[in-house]
Amino acid sequence: MSQALDLAERALRAAEGDEALALANRERSGLARFAGSEVHQPTLIENDVVELQIVRDGRVGVAVANRTDDEGLRALAARAAEAADSAPVDPDFPGLAPQAEPPGVEGYDEETAALSPEDQARLAAAAIDASSLDLYGFFTSGFTELAIASTTGLAASQAMTDSCIFALAANERESGHAEQTSWRVSEVDPAEAARAAVAKAERTRGAIELEPGSYRAVLEPYAFAELLLYFAYDAFGALGLLEERSYAAGRIGEQVFDERFSLADDGLDPRGLPKAFDFEGSPKTRVELVENGVLRDVVWDRATAKRAGEDRETTGHAPPSSLRRWGPLPFNISVAGGEAGSTEELAELVGDGIYVSRLHYLSIVNPRDGVITGMTRDGTFRIRGGRIADPLVNLRFTVSMPELLAELPGLTREIVLVNEASYYDERYPNGVLAPAAATARFDVTGTGSTPGI
Amino acid sequence: MRELCEEAVSAALAAGASYADARVVLRRAQTVATRNGRVDRLDDIESEGVGVRALVDGAWGFACDRRLSTEGAQAAAAKACAFAKAAPGGHKRALATVDPAQGEYRTPVERDPFEIPLADKVAHCLRAEEGMAYDDVKVTSAFVRAQREKRVFVSSEGAVTDQELVECGGGIDAMASRDGITQIRSHPSAHGGSSSQAGWEYVESLAFEREAPRVGEQAAALLRAEPCPSMVTTIVVDAEQMELQTHESVGHPTELDRVYGTEAAYAGTSFLKPGDLGSLRYGSEHMNVTADPTTPGGLGTFAFDDEGVPAQRVPIVAEGVLQGFLASRETAARIGSGSGGSMRADGWSRMPLVRMTNLHLEPGEGSLEELIAGVDEGLFLQTNKSWSIDDKRLNFQFGTQVAWEIEDGELGRMLRDATYTGQTPVFWGSLDAVAGRDEWRLHGLTNCGKGQPGQHAHVSHGTSPARFRNVQVGFKS
Repeated sequence: MSQALDLAERALRAAEGDEALALANRERSGLARFAGSEVHQPTLIENDVVELQIVRDGRVGVAVANRTDDEGLRALAARAAEAADSAPVDPDFPGLAPQAEPPGVEGYDEETAALSPEDQARLAAAAIDASSLDLYGFFTSGFTELAIASTTGLAASQAMTDSCIFALAANERESGHAEQTSWRVSEVDPAEAARAAVAKAERTRGAIELEPGSYRAVLEPYAFAELLLYFAYDAFGALGLLEERSYAAGRIGEQVFDERFSLADDGLDPRGLPKAFDFEGSPKTRVELVENGVLRDVVWDRATAKRAGEDRETTGHAPPSSLRRWGPLPFNISVAGGEAGSTEELAELVGDGIYVSRLHYLSIVNPRDGVITGMTRDGTFRIRGGRIADPLVNLRFTVSMPELLAELPGLTREIVLVNEASYYDERYPNGVLAPAAATARFDVTGTGSTPGI
Repeated sequence: MRELCEEAVSAALAAGASYADARVVLRRAQTVATRNGRVDRLDDIESEGVGVRALVDGAWGFACDRRLSTEGAQAAAAKACAFAKAAPGGHKRALATVDPAQGEYRTPVERDPFEIPLADKVAHCLRAEEGMAYDDVKVTSAFVRAQREKRVFVSSEGAVTDQELVECGGGIDAMASRDGITQIRSHPSAHGGSSSQAGWEYVESLAFEREAPRVGEQAAALLRAEPCPSMVTTIVVDAEQMELQTHESVGHPTELDRVYGTEAAYAGTSFLKPGDLGSLRYGSEHMNVTADPTTPGGLGTFAFDDEGVPAQRVPIVAEGVLQGFLASRETAARIGSGSGGSMRADGWSRMPLVRMTNLHLEPGEGSLEELIAGVDEGLFLQTNKSWSIDDKRLNFQFGTQVAWEIEDGELGRMLRDATYTGQTPVFWGSLDAVAGRDEWRLHGLTNCGKGQPGQHAHVSHGTSPARFRNVQVGFKS
């Protein structure tokens, strides 16, 4: 038995006499953060966390602890029981998930799990040594094991690994970024990422201003993925749909985007960071969110499925309890690729416009209309005559995602796994599978600083 | 706990560290949240562990372990040192000299928030929700939170500090939808309410029940309001939005680690340079900003930071001129000024970073009404809705939940979907008045993100409403 499942079952036993569900998360990770080509903030974490949900007569309470000896688990059960006793009966509580066999998924790699602190330092050094500019970023790898056990018979665990090199090559006038993410460290090449970041940075010197306005644009996978994730968290969850506040409300079944655009949430895809079950213990399923531009569905958990009725079932997208106020979330979105062989081909399709490498500090201005603002950074260029040309200063954009997705002249065939974990709280690797995209509309609303640090 | 820290420090020194410190942190956090009349979240979270920081041949290592035992402390120390020895780069790090601190601190509370029964907290939230019920209001929500954190710190230089910080807070929101329009109103702040280092008395002072009808009514009224037009105009910004304005465009740029580039890859850098100290004009003469970890009730209040440096009040901007940075011992040594005092870590499993503590826009004179009376034509903007700022903290765009037209010094009709944008020093240069002490409010936010792996800091800002001239509202045509 996995150690996480053993911990979950011990917590479950501590909740004697109650309906209960226990989630255990074990983390062994290291993040070698560097700046100015020196590792300055390394963080090595060992933690086991167990969350216990107790149900008494339709009342639900949750407690969390990382003290896992018998006394600690007894105290955990007592606090969860007190929380349950303090809650009113919840008529919408869907009950604990029934026993289910989670799908077999990939996502665990022995070599990645075995990386030592010295290995993590060595892989950070490989990136630093390959960069002719000062390098900023990190190498990280982690082993996490998530397990779930319940009085309804759930008993499942999943071991996961993840690794990521993030490289920002910069001086005072230039900056470029590249990153690679995989659950197999053998697929991550720190030196290659560093060299790509340097190559991008060297093209950003002498950045010029750009008049605000609506431009055709090429979005690299990093930029496209981040926009889609912000949009998806708000637009493609069932809670926003049921509460009539999200973009999807009233639009299911409508052709709302370019027919070249298809979007799924697929935790089972081995190209991503696979997940077997969600935080209610329900098996993960692939959900077609958008098919050829038609908005098909959103993601569901047990609570929203019960509210919706009409035989609606969970799709396996319950979030951790700390994020439950957002409802079910698409943690594994995946965009279908297109026909273009490269971003240069996309630039040809754009003709006259801008090229965006990476974004910074996104914020949702208007969730109902899918309006997002943010800045470009570390590689923004003018496209003239179908070619990537002058470097630009960082641009403020304020885009309506439905308008951005309404006309996509092209998408690349190549799909990139873009890391979207910022490693707050307990580690839960997640990312977006995205191509680069050309759009007919990207609204620039201001200008900011020049590239460089 | 002290003994455990001492064991960790001893183990790090034995493993080759020239300097080491250890923190044991025990945190308990409780959240009660309701949504549309039912409990959405009722949880009680405990976390404990030890974090060890070691400097070996000029390189930092940091490792942590959840086990509060000799084994856990020594394992963390050994790993921190092992990583530091393997760390790439040519390392030369010095720490500003400070006298080793010895002392204790406890947040003064009138009513321990953990002594309030959970059922009473649920009832508190549900009563507030009832008050927000209004036509077209589709979602009402309320929450209260409490946190107690015990922190013991020991350094190899002889510092030993023992602190217990208690927080609580909450907030309410009403979301209205109709005909494809969705609007929200919040109290006392958006995105997580407001918190304070205080007891349950702080939550009661937020007066959810009193404010709930206004929140619900305004959310519904926004559905019928006209969109705010784009223009260059005078804006009066309420104290709550000034909290975020100060946080994003003064707090973060003055973090000295950002100035030196160590956050470049994630949170970004700063438009400020070390040489700007004492000379850079940040804003108008009405702009006075102070960092003060001694402010009663502030979420950034402590007696000692996470390097054991005693709390100290520092001027950041005085009469519009940059006068200080937020610093660590390392960055203070690098700039050759001060001793740090702004190092804070999120719990036991993260390395301390330069963070805001309590950063205040000092009050000016007069009332909010007087600020508004001084506007022939403009807008009064209330409560943050969206926020974004570039990686050097220059270009920002903020949206507010509501805007009110000002005409001939009086408030007029309500407008929705207002945003304003600017360049940090230009914007602060257009500040022509800050309201007085009677309008000054302390807001506490718990979602300030920074660092990799990510860390949340809890910080407070004292602000009054302020008036800015010639500001771009909406988009430049």
